[in-house]
Amino acid sequence: MNAILEATGVTMQFGGLTALNDVSFGLSEGEIIGLIGPNGAGKTTLFNCLTGLYAPTAGQVGLRGTTLPVDPARVTQQGVARTFQNIRLFPSMTAEENVLVGRHVRMKQNPLSSLLHGPGFRRSEADAAEHTAKLLAFVGLTKFSDELARNLPYGDQRRLEIARALATEPSVLLLDEPTAGMNAQETEATRQLIFAIRDLGISVVVIEHDTKFIFTLCDRVLVLVQGELLVEGTPDEVRGDPRVVEAYLGAPPDEVDAQIHAAEETR
Amino acid sequence: MLPTLLSQIVNGLVLGSLIGLIALGYTMVYGIIQLINFAHGEIFMIGAYGGLAMFTYLLPTFVQQQWYLALPLLLLAGAGVSVGVALIMERFAYRPLRNAPRLAPLITALGVSVALQEGVRVFYPGATAALPFPKVFVQGTWAIPVPGGTVPLRWTGLLIIVVSLVLAFALNSFVNNSRMGRAMRATSQDRDVARLMGIDPDRVIVLTFVLGATLAGVAGILYGADLGFINIDIGFQNGIFAFTAAVLGGIGSIKGAVAGGLSIGLIKALGGQYLPGGTAYDYVWIFVVLIAVLVFRPQGFFGETERVRA
Amino acid sequence: MTTTLEKAPAPTPEPRGRLAPVAPYASALQIAGGVLTLIGALLPWATFVLNEGPYPEKATLEFFTAPLAVTGFRLHLVLFGIAAIVLSLVTVPARGRMLQGLGWGVVAVTLANTLYLVAEGGGLGTITAADGAVAFGPIVALVGGALIVLGGSARRHEDKPVWAWRSNRYVEWAILLVTYVLLLLLVAAVLTSGGQGTAANVYSGAVFLSFLGAVGGLLAALQASGLLTWIAAVSERHRLFSVVVLLFVALALPLTQAGTEYWMTVAANIGVYAATAIGLNIVVGLAGLLDLGYVAFLGIGAFVAANLSGAAAAQFDIEVPFPLVMVISAVVAGIFGAVVGSPTLRVRGDYLAIVTLAFGEIFVRSSQNNIGGFTGGSNAIPGIPPVSAFGNDFNDELIIGSVELPRGALYYVLIVLIVAAVMLVFGNLKNSRLGRAWIAIREDEDAARAMGIRTGPVKILAFMIGATIAGFAGAFFAHKTGTVSYESFKFLESITLLAAVILGGMGTIPGAVLGASILFVLPEKLREFADYRLLLFGIALILIMRFRPQGLVPDSHRRAELAPDSGVPPTPGTAAKAAAS
Repeated sequence: MNAILEATGVTMQFGGLTALNDVSFGLSEGEIIGLIGPNGAGKTTLFNCLTGLYAPTAGQVGLRGTTLPVDPARVTQQGVARTFQNIRLFPSMTAEENVLVGRHVRMKQNPLSSLLHGPGFRRSEADAAEHTAKLLAFVGLTKFSDELARNLPYGDQRRLEIARALATEPSVLLLDEPTAGMNAQETEATRQLIFAIRDLGISVVVIEHDTKFIFTLCDRVLVLVQGELLVEGTPDEVRGDPRVVEAYLGAPPDEVDAQIHAAEETR
Repeated sequence: MLPTLLSQIVNGLVLGSLIGLIALGYTMVYGIIQLINFAHGEIFMIGAYGGLAMFTYLLPTFVQQQWYLALPLLLLAGAGVSVGVALIMERFAYRPLRNAPRLAPLITALGVSVALQEGVRVFYPGATAALPFPKVFVQGTWAIPVPGGTVPLRWTGLLIIVVSLVLAFALNSFVNNSRMGRAMRATSQDRDVARLMGIDPDRVIVLTFVLGATLAGVAGILYGADLGFINIDIGFQNGIFAFTAAVLGGIGSIKGAVAGGLSIGLIKALGGQYLPGGTAYDYVWIFVVLIAVLVFRPQGFFGETERVRA
Repeated sequence: MTTTLEKAPAPTPEPRGRLAPVAPYASALQIAGGVLTLIGALLPWATFVLNEGPYPEKATLEFFTAPLAVTGFRLHLVLFGIAAIVLSLVTVPARGRMLQGLGWGVVAVTLANTLYLVAEGGGLGTITAADGAVAFGPIVALVGGALIVLGGSARRHEDKPVWAWRSNRYVEWAILLVTYVLLLLLVAAVLTSGGQGTAANVYSGAVFLSFLGAVGGLLAALQASGLLTWIAAVSERHRLFSVVVLLFVALALPLTQAGTEYWMTVAANIGVYAATAIGLNIVVGLAGLLDLGYVAFLGIGAFVAANLSGAAAAQFDIEVPFPLVMVISAVVAGIFGAVVGSPTLRVRGDYLAIVTLAFGEIFVRSSQNNIGGFTGGSNAIPGIPPVSAFGNDFNDELIIGSVELPRGALYYVLIVLIVAAVMLVFGNLKNSRLGRAWIAIREDEDAARAMGIRTGPVKILAFMIGATIAGFAGAFFAHKTGTVSYESFKFLESITLLAAVILGGMGTIPGAVLGASILFVLPEKLREFADYRLLLFGIALILIMRFRPQGLVPDSHRRAELAPDSGVPPTPGTAAKAAAS
């Protein structure tokens, strides 16, 4: 298995609190992995460790075999991009400008060039503008190019954040609750978008609470409970695993029906 | 050698107590609304001028000459004026900007500071130069004998140390043991939740300003009584020292403000005596300390490290 | 060539708000206001004898004797009154707001003059009746102005018109040229109005304020009509042309009535602070790093230049040619910028402000104590020689052909070029990868880092470039003022620079220049208030942050951030979107 992103024994402690305990997993190239678990299980903390925002107390994170530095900017430069649980767009910038910031790390423009606006500058700006336009079209936000990010409807803000992350040309994309607050239609659109992202050759990890979404989207699912990786497997395996059911999902519908039935019979 | 060292320590403690009183105001206001009240130094200054005004224009001569009558009145007047100005400031300059981006209240505080300083300069008769302040306390110095000589401690200096400690202790008790104090602590941790618990954050904030201003006003009077004169600059300079002290001790912590104040006083006195450049550069050492603390240990002595949320 | 005047699609909306009950009478109010203003302008204004000069003399009722002999502010009032009457009768888009602007102009003019009269004449008798003379002009005009404002406000809920008139390139160029020349003449007129304040010319301040009020009212009305926005759009279409023409127009100031040695010096000072303010605008306006000790970089540049100038008090016994000095000053200041910036990388927000304040104070204290002998301490470094080129000292007057330029005109030209260069730097950086990185850091530093921006080096660059610009300006400052002292670089100056940036509008190019100009011209013109200058300044800061934190010429980002409710007029596109959703 060619693991593109690999976490080995990642442990994160804050004072006396252990947020993550010896979490290990591997993301294969072209895979979509789902990360589920109750609130406070440590999912976002894991993302923060993967992107270098936190330095893990133990363990390490590697991209294509090389350990990632503990510096979010360099992690992004090496090809791991993310979105945030509570959307962190640049509110007073337009949609286009937001995505242009995403292009920062792939643009070839040094400060002197920025100052002098020579031919190299013009080329890199034209390039960036083209990339940006394509990305906005990819997520369906072309009509909002000149709209301030803070004015966009909620669902579109989430998509803009994805476009911005894609602008950094990542190999791995980490999405933190991309469908939170969305209705069924928007959720389905997001699912299609993630498939399209995978088709671009990007591997994806998705944190979500909408388990139906996860089970119809992901190749594999990781279940994190109280900082520990409880179960790892295909959606079917995870769905039926009694430990997961007990800790997080609740019984599957047919089993609940059977239980109710049995209770009624004995009355 | 020893007498010089101890003298400077004594000087440092006296100054530090004063700084601590002012620092308490900074630390409490920052703790509750996350605003560096740049104008707090001016509150200290205006307390001194307010007391002087009352003394000069309102007190009959025989009261002026009895320090045990004049001093309490001066302290009341100083605190009163300081509190009054602080209330106006909070209500009209800061409260409307409660939810504005951080830059706005900061610039406003700068504006208030400039306006107050200039207001006194322009409208108080004679304030363009230093004004003499009544020495309303027992005059003279206690010469403490130590091996090698004596260490002078002005009686006013001792007054400052004692009053400061008493007030700091009282404030600490109030904040930790009273109902209103609990409300203050709750509001400083999470204003919205405190409101849901039935606490009126506006009243709590006003109380915070009042307490801070009272201490600053008292400090102003003590400063004047000790030094014998005041001028409009004292707000800015001592304000910076006091803010440094609050940060050094841990912004938001009462113990910290006191500890920080004493430390700054000592640094200024000892630095001026022993570090290169002498007294001309003592301010510089304070600023160096400020920069170092903010860069390397922003939580100061007693502050909390920012909680990193999981 | 299309000639359509498009109005944003909407029927005249129902008047709403507190003034709704007044709305049906709006026209009547406006006409009444206009008439009263006219009458007020023609009535006598003062019951005592004023100095000779542009002020109405004591007189009895002169309404019928000299209806056409009005000058100065009374002429302005006459024009405004007529305009108000005309607008009340003719339906023009957005006339409600235009009338509001005119009305406030009338009020401003009246108040400025009235307050002066009352103060000089000692009481309200000056404007009513005393010593057998009668003068009700001010009151009548004030009421007139108030009525115009009232009538206009009741109508103000109309859409702001968007002019879509376009033409071919040369016609638009001609329009821009005319506009900028008019702008130059207006600026010259404002600067010289009232003359210089001296003992004999007591009312210079009043004349100036009144003129300013009139200009303000006129601009407000033009802005409401959409003309100014349209001109801005046209100049956007012809950026390069506009910039070149503006540069030439600015250089032509010495040829106007403001071409005196006095104004050249004032303009040069404004230029220095404007250039410095633009540098600060990079640090504060773009990158969001609140620097309260910024003036220290100006000081460093000035002291470096002073020490290399061959002045007697300089530390070095060397006289370096001026262009090289500017470069060296800039570089040294830039290095200090990096030095100050480096420890601040982990410090945010308020704490950053304090740290920079501390650095600024360290600079002041050290230079006060003549550290290293570089600053002269309390004695400063006097005797810095003026710049000279081609045998001409920049301090002297210059005769080109038949044109005589005033003394100091060469300095003026140089500073205009410097400011232009700095503006170019700012503009280029803002619309580049680096500028976007700065803005991103300002909006959300952690998100910026997550997007791959190396925030540390980027922030240091902001400090460095800002400091370099200030150092550059400092070299000019040293030679122009001839003496460099630590007194010029104290904390108050840092606040003033910050105020200039904020007042003008953070993050915009003209903003810093506008702010610096206002903060320098006002004290010059209003000398009698010199004692209250700082007090008013402090109060002004409070008021600005309360009522217009985005400044006079706001940047789109800043307006969105600081004043999200201040309406940006809807462009036709978004109006359609809003209607469709």
